[in-house]
Amino acid sequence: MKHLFVVLVGLVLGAAAAGVVLYYNPLATRSAPEPNATARVLHYSLPDQVLEFAVGEDARLFGQDTGRDSLWEETIDRTAVLGLVLNDAANQPAAVASRLMATSGDTDLLLRGVLLTDHWLITLPGQGTLFVRADSNAWPFLKNTLVPVWYLERPWNGPADYWPTVGPGADQSGVVLGITGAFRGSEGSVVEHYKISALDRARGVALANAELHLNLPGPRVAAQ
Amino acid sequence: MKTLFLIAIVCGFGGTLAGAHYVPWLEHARLPSHTSVVANGGRAEQFLIRLPADRIAATDGEAGGLRGTGTEGTMLLPAQFVAEPLLVEHFKVRDAADNVVGVAARHWHGSGAAATTTWSILIPSRGALVLNAFGEPRGALESALRASGYSAGNAWDGRAAVTMISPGELGVVATGTGEFEGLSGSYTEEWTVAAVDENGRISGTIELKTITSQPASLPQ
Repeated sequence: MKHLFVVLVGLVLGAAAAGVVLYYNPLATRSAPEPNATARVLHYSLPDQVLEFAVGEDARLFGQDTGRDSLWEETIDRTAVLGLVLNDAANQPAAVASRLMATSGDTDLLLRGVLLTDHWLITLPGQGTLFVRADSNAWPFLKNTLVPVWYLERPWNGPADYWPTVGPGADQSGVVLGITGAFRGSEGSVVEHYKISALDRARGVALANAELHLNLPGPRVAAQ
Repeated sequence: MKTLFLIAIVCGFGGTLAGAHYVPWLEHARLPSHTSVVANGGRAEQFLIRLPADRIAATDGEAGGLRGTGTEGTMLLPAQFVAEPLLVEHFKVRDAADNVVGVAARHWHGSGAAATTTWSILIPSRGALVLNAFGEPRGALESALRASGYSAGNAWDGRAAVTMISPGELGVVATGTGEFEGLSGSYTEEWTVAAVDENGRISGTIELKTITSQPASLPQ
């Protein structure tokens, strides 16, 4: 009995030490470098510019009600679908975007963090449609903001900046492809940026301004 | 006893790190793929959307017609976009065995010389497929329904089938990720409406039939 107790205490202490290592692990917080000044930017505010949000039952960060549009089937219950309006630099609506998100099977809490895959279709009326593929690391947001503020109810020290993009392109940026219109055939890179200003408990959402920094050779994506 | 304690600590430490590294925490449930081989060596796969059950949302612009305004789940466009030839729709997607396997976005855009349609289909356990074609003329579905006897504000049932890719044109696989990465191919899209209720809600199916293959390697 004494031996069993010693083993159990040892296992718990070892697991706790590993938990501390994982929590402070710098390997799981890497992201793409911030874009240079020439990147073109489409931006939106959360939740004001969300046209529609359907979320799977196992993908609810804030424990919100999934409502009528719930993605409840087991094949899509870690998936979310967003409709968004994206503004240009003049803060005028420039595009409508569909964002299909899912947790990534490449998630590795030791080496890569908590990964999400993002598939955007962005249509700029009169210009064409873009497809954006980006992997995002949600671990820095979970560790620094969501868990301490939302679940442990610690004081909010925001606003908080996050650059979550970690691939799949070169330099850990995302990939943007021109599908139709003036963009057809062009290819470039994309990086996301979030500035989270508050977590709204009443509505179960984060209040944030988000930006898509697009580097797409060829036609301009939005007026600068 | 001290040795046992140290071994237990090492095991707890290593086991936790190994679990963090090797356990597939966020993998998606996967159903068998319903594909068949076609004569030229490609792979045929059909995706199905049942309306209204699989419709998640659609934009409410003037270009939407029944598809945009006839049901719940309407995405309210900003005033600047209401008159634009733009229709964005979101759906759940089923495989040929009628199981929901993914989600999809369809963007119809009527600016320029010809309307275009782009589909992004995400099957979480497999990857994403992006399809692109010259799309249907504006109001194509409503025109087909009217030709079959439908009038706005009245319930209708029957059968109206609309091919959503312009005649003589071919839908293409534009790109893909995961299992679909590097594939090329073609697709067809057909909407079949079986009923429309008094509120304009459409009942029917959307069939996407894809044929994909690995591009032939370049000669050395």
